[in-house]
Amino acid sequence: MARQSNKKTAAASGGRPRRSLTRRLLPYLLLVATAGAAVLALYMAHLDHEVRAKFEGTRWKLPAKVYASPLELYAGQDVSEKELITRLQRQGYRRAASVDDAGTYNKSGAGLALHTRDFQFWNGAQPDRELRLGFDANGVSSLKALDGEGDLALIRLDPQLIGSIYPNKGTDRILVKLGEVPPMLPAGLITVEDRHFMSNWGISPRGILRAAIADIKAGAIVQGGSTLTQQLVKNFYLDNQQTLSRKGKEALMAILLDAHYTKEEILEAYLNEVYLGQDGSRAIHGFGLASYFYFQKPVQELQPSEIALLVAMVKGPSYYDPRRHPERARTRRDLVLNMFHEAGFLKDDAWQTAKASDLGVTGTAARGNTQYPAFIDLVKRQLKGQYKDEDLTEEGLRVFTTLDPTVQATAENRIADGLSSVEKQRGIKADTLESAAVVTSIEGGNVLALVGGREHGYAGFNRALEAKRQIGSLMKPVDYLTAMMQPAKFNPITPLDDSPLAVKLANGKTWRPGNYSNRSHGDNVPAYYGLEHSLNIASSRLSLAAGIPNIIDTLGKLGYEGNAPAVPSLALGSVSMSPLEVAQIYNTIATGGYYTPLRAIKDVTTREGEPLNRYPLKLTQTVDAGPAYITTWMMERVARHGTGAGMYSTIDRSKTIAGKTGTTNNLRDAWFAGFGGNRLGVVWVGRDDNKPAKLTGATGALPIWSQIMADINTRGIVDTPPDSITQVPLQLIFDPNAVNQGAGNNPNQWFANGQSCSNAVKVPFIKGFVPQGLLNCDTDIMRVNAQQNQPADNRGRAPRDQDNDQGSWFERIF
Amino acid sequence: MAGCASTPPDTTPRTPPAQPSPEQGQTQPLPPSQRQAPPQVPADRGGPSSSRQNQKQDQDDQSDTPPKEAPPQRAEAVSSPAVMSLMGRADTLAGSGHMDDAAATLERALDLEPRNAFIYQRLAAVRLAQGQADQAEQLAQKSNSVAGDNPFVEANNWKLIAEARKTAGDSKGASAASSKAVNYERSTSQYSQ
Repeated sequence: MARQSNKKTAAASGGRPRRSLTRRLLPYLLLVATAGAAVLALYMAHLDHEVRAKFEGTRWKLPAKVYASPLELYAGQDVSEKELITRLQRQGYRRAASVDDAGTYNKSGAGLALHTRDFQFWNGAQPDRELRLGFDANGVSSLKALDGEGDLALIRLDPQLIGSIYPNKGTDRILVKLGEVPPMLPAGLITVEDRHFMSNWGISPRGILRAAIADIKAGAIVQGGSTLTQQLVKNFYLDNQQTLSRKGKEALMAILLDAHYTKEEILEAYLNEVYLGQDGSRAIHGFGLASYFYFQKPVQELQPSEIALLVAMVKGPSYYDPRRHPERARTRRDLVLNMFHEAGFLKDDAWQTAKASDLGVTGTAARGNTQYPAFIDLVKRQLKGQYKDEDLTEEGLRVFTTLDPTVQATAENRIADGLSSVEKQRGIKADTLESAAVVTSIEGGNVLALVGGREHGYAGFNRALEAKRQIGSLMKPVDYLTAMMQPAKFNPITPLDDSPLAVKLANGKTWRPGNYSNRSHGDNVPAYYGLEHSLNIASSRLSLAAGIPNIIDTLGKLGYEGNAPAVPSLALGSVSMSPLEVAQIYNTIATGGYYTPLRAIKDVTTREGEPLNRYPLKLTQTVDAGPAYITTWMMERVARHGTGAGMYSTIDRSKTIAGKTGTTNNLRDAWFAGFGGNRLGVVWVGRDDNKPAKLTGATGALPIWSQIMADINTRGIVDTPPDSITQVPLQLIFDPNAVNQGAGNNPNQWFANGQSCSNAVKVPFIKGFVPQGLLNCDTDIMRVNAQQNQPADNRGRAPRDQDNDQGSWFERIF
Repeated sequence: MAGCASTPPDTTPRTPPAQPSPEQGQTQPLPPSQRQAPPQVPADRGGPSSSRQNQKQDQDDQSDTPPKEAPPQRAEAVSSPAVMSLMGRADTLAGSGHMDDAAATLERALDLEPRNAFIYQRLAAVRLAQGQADQAEQLAQKSNSVAGDNPFVEANNWKLIAEARKTAGDSKGASAASSKAVNYERSTSQYSQ
């Protein structure tokens, strides 16, 4: 309406360009002026409404904030002082002479003094505390409160903010209040951007002039012409067009804003609105988030040099990006520090100190969403379907996850280094290999780390979830587990036939599994040895006898949700899985048969900290403890004596670890999956184009896996045989390369000691299913045992694999 | 999402419902049995034994070996001060009816000591108090699986399981669990008190 009448009026006045008496025109001019004033008034009323509605309504959409799991500090925690300091630095803790302020620490002979930050956890607020930690060779040895607020048995460090859930091409921010930011921040902004902010009317014609003069004096653009209010209006209500009418609208809105709201309200809005950087498709708005984005700490803890840098960046966050253009950023920061000093709120000493300090921004690897894209992806998938997109991107929810930043950093670094070195060692073209890894806590099913590729922070293809590759011999523990669930037929020393095998398939083709070594190991291979050395033919026979459908059933019990093909080659891993899926099935074995769904999230709360959802520990025994124990025992032998033995060149020999290598056809995929007492890891190495990587599980994945597990202080497995297990001490002598398969020329020698044998290994059997006649100190070769001095009818052979038990859907031929 | 966290989350009520607090007797180890019953291996531990060797081992357990050192009867004996502090906090929360918070606190303790049988046992008791009979039984079984050879812990776990089964309407299963509890309790007398 207003515009239309405006045009008409203009046309009317312009339509009479006659050289007439001013007097005659005056009434018309008055009319036009009045009409113009009315139009302006209407327009102002319209703008006024717009300004107020937006300022007072929901001003900001707040993306959900995602937190890592907090580090627990307590006497007995196996974290060294060095590791803790690294963690503190990553979270923006500042080393200081005294720890009076939250977010500071101080290392001395007496240990580490630390002032933690207060934090609103899922179960309430934890106040900031001053404490001292002592360390010994095992980690934290003592924890003592220094603040007289009571003894502490344990305390959580504030969790690291690891990302936000923002809409595509969205803005992200953390709200701050004017009263909680360091006073130097608003004062500095006013000094640098708008000296007369406190007294102007929202616009400042003089300010524009003054800015121009200041720029000329400094020989550079040091002041913009706009007031803070105008800048806020521009950010808040207008797009980036720089037309004269926009400028006019901006000025009018600034005047209105200034008329309606206090300077403090405008300043607080400015602090939260101003654009301060870009993180991929995510726009960093406001000083609250910028403080985390550049320094990994809350705005309250910013030091003068850091405040100056952020204030300096207001002028051009991209041009003065301290990560991409550190020199440029530093020059302007120092200029801003000079202005702080001249304005009188930065004293000489502090000014000198600030100018001497580095920019202090955290590395590119430590910022927001791009830091852990694979894990954030997992979190989003877990939240999907439970929350509406708007809830996640607008309501400021707080998501508490299971990520352990130390484990994550280790896994990322070990993958990056490990791939480069294996490429170099094996003459593979640089940067052609890819990798993915998962680390879990075993009990609880917490995903501690998830690596989606070799490049840090690259938010592309998330191989840990999406790269489904054949798992090869990683399948074998599932085969053997299925067999051990049939204790009347199988035990760890059941003799397996490793001679050539051909199986006619339903489709008329013949399946002929071959051993990696291209040779047979005889027809009397003890079952444990078949897994230990990953013998394909013996394992295939065992699997066919145990039943492929039963193996598929076991996969389901272990937590695999996909459809495995019911074909004999499934025994050797002709099923494609993501590293995360492998982690799930191995995790169930590692817990002793208790399926615990892997989880990345523990709690979700509202912005204010009210609990919304909890993802509690849920476990279900899906596999009997006995077979799970025997399988783990055999996997421990893989690590000690078999294809995984290379791990002990990296991992402390005193630790009992269980694991399995996996290699697929033509060396396309190299896998290693395994676990200690408290950590499980899965590593995949291969190529994105699925061409041969020319690596086996042992050469490609195991070295990286071992480094990760050693770095994160994986504990050894604590031997806890379940009630259903009985252990028989046996002499494990089988060796396919030795005389008489290890029994030697005189097999009787193994029985000379009667029933005492110091070299024996306790072999687990399901109670009630020890082979008839097997004695303590017998060997692992049933054929040899059977020939000994006991009456033959006292000795029964353990059941051989039952070739006749095969399903009707294939037929075995030789 | 395949293979990961398909479990729907539990919605936390804004105000904790008035729940009965877990009976302390369920989470605390019981006093040693006063009846001097003869040492006895619980029924489920033998299984159908078919070999001489097995019989010999069973005999070893009872006669050939010197009296074993008693396994820990109380959480204090095996838990760090940090875990004890969390278990104390969980007890307080459970006592005031804040069962979800108690469970979450026990989970925090499990993150510290993931194979501490006493923590699983208390978590089982909390779930039982919440009426989650299935999780109560699973957690008590898990407690058994990490307890090692500890009849004190196992007796209490079987009592919990008996209660859980009763809650779930499985009276036959409940009485089977109860007799296991009795057997384990008897076998505690092998340790000189």
